[in-house]
Amino acid sequence: MKKQYALALTLIAAVSGIGAMALSLWNLLPSWAYAGVLVIGFPLFVLGLGLYWMAREGEADIPFLGY
Amino acid sequence: MIAELLFATFFGLLLLGIHRKVIARIQRRPGPPVWQEILHMLKFSFKTTWVPATASTTLFVGVVLVAIGIWTAALFVVLSGGSLLVIFAIYMLHKIVEHGFGLSSGSPYGKFGGVRSVISAASEIPLMVSVAAIAIFTKSLMISDIVAYQQSYGPLLFTVPLAAVAMYVVLLSKMPFGPFSIVESKELVSGYKTEHFGVWRAGLEICNGLKTYVLLLTFILVFAGGLPLWTILLLMLLITMSLSFVCALSPMLSPYDSVTIQTLIAGLMVLYVAILGVVS
Repeated sequence: MKKQYALALTLIAAVSGIGAMALSLWNLLPSWAYAGVLVIGFPLFVLGLGLYWMAREGEADIPFLGY
Repeated sequence: MIAELLFATFFGLLLLGIHRKVIARIQRRPGPPVWQEILHMLKFSFKTTWVPATASTTLFVGVVLVAIGIWTAALFVVLSGGSLLVIFAIYMLHKIVEHGFGLSSGSPYGKFGGVRSVISAASEIPLMVSVAAIAIFTKSLMISDIVAYQQSYGPLLFTVPLAAVAMYVVLLSKMPFGPFSIVESKELVSGYKTEHFGVWRAGLEICNGLKTYVLLLTFILVFAGGLPLWTILLLMLLITMSLSFVCALSPMLSPYDSVTIQTLIAGLMVLYVAILGVVS
């Protein structure tokens, strides 16, 4: 995954979560919908942020086969 | 909700760090600092991340997203006083997720961990028959109703103590380094998560923090009732330390013994629930 895609994913997840919180505070979004946004957005935010920091764009590794 | 989610993640990871520290001190080792699991999560976030050549990329990555997502959902279900059955459904989903972790990488260690996860599920999930004992008294499986019942009649811990014991065994089964932790035993390197490193492992650490917090919170709400937050956090700490004692003083069982003991406890619980049903 390219880093700019990871950054975009992180920002979309963060903006969605904060937006849902704001809408929920103003009673424009029911709490179950707010929770739904976080259930989908939180994992994407966590992985997107980590991938933006450190993901390689090179070749894949072989699996670990023992010490 | 975002604040609760972040708090649950970090407090769950802190409890897992305390778990490691207590085990180490009982075994006369200095042990890692109590915030080690939080550092682990941050450390893995900064590590090089890629997908192994033999992995099924979609499953390898997707299963991490699902792992975090289901326990985020479980947290909101508990906080909103939702149904215990949903929590147990998510617990079952977690076993499928562990299986997916193991199978997705193509590594033999991961596969064995995944297979053991399914084996352990066959004995852990029946332990949840203990909810039937609760339902006999509360006439409901909604956490909000169970909490309300305890405000009138006192903690269910004293009413159905054996159900609490069965749920305690479920908690013990999910703690690392415990007698029932067959999915992560050392002969399998790291079991189902052997190949998930870097950001994927950081995601798994977050899932573990959330899972620990949710299961302990559920146990307290169901058997002790609605308490002030500081009391709940203190009880979580005490339960974690008691689990650490059990983990430190008991050897990891073989898969066969683990399943046998859990199945025996589940059988006793069925008998207990049947007697309760007849008596009440």
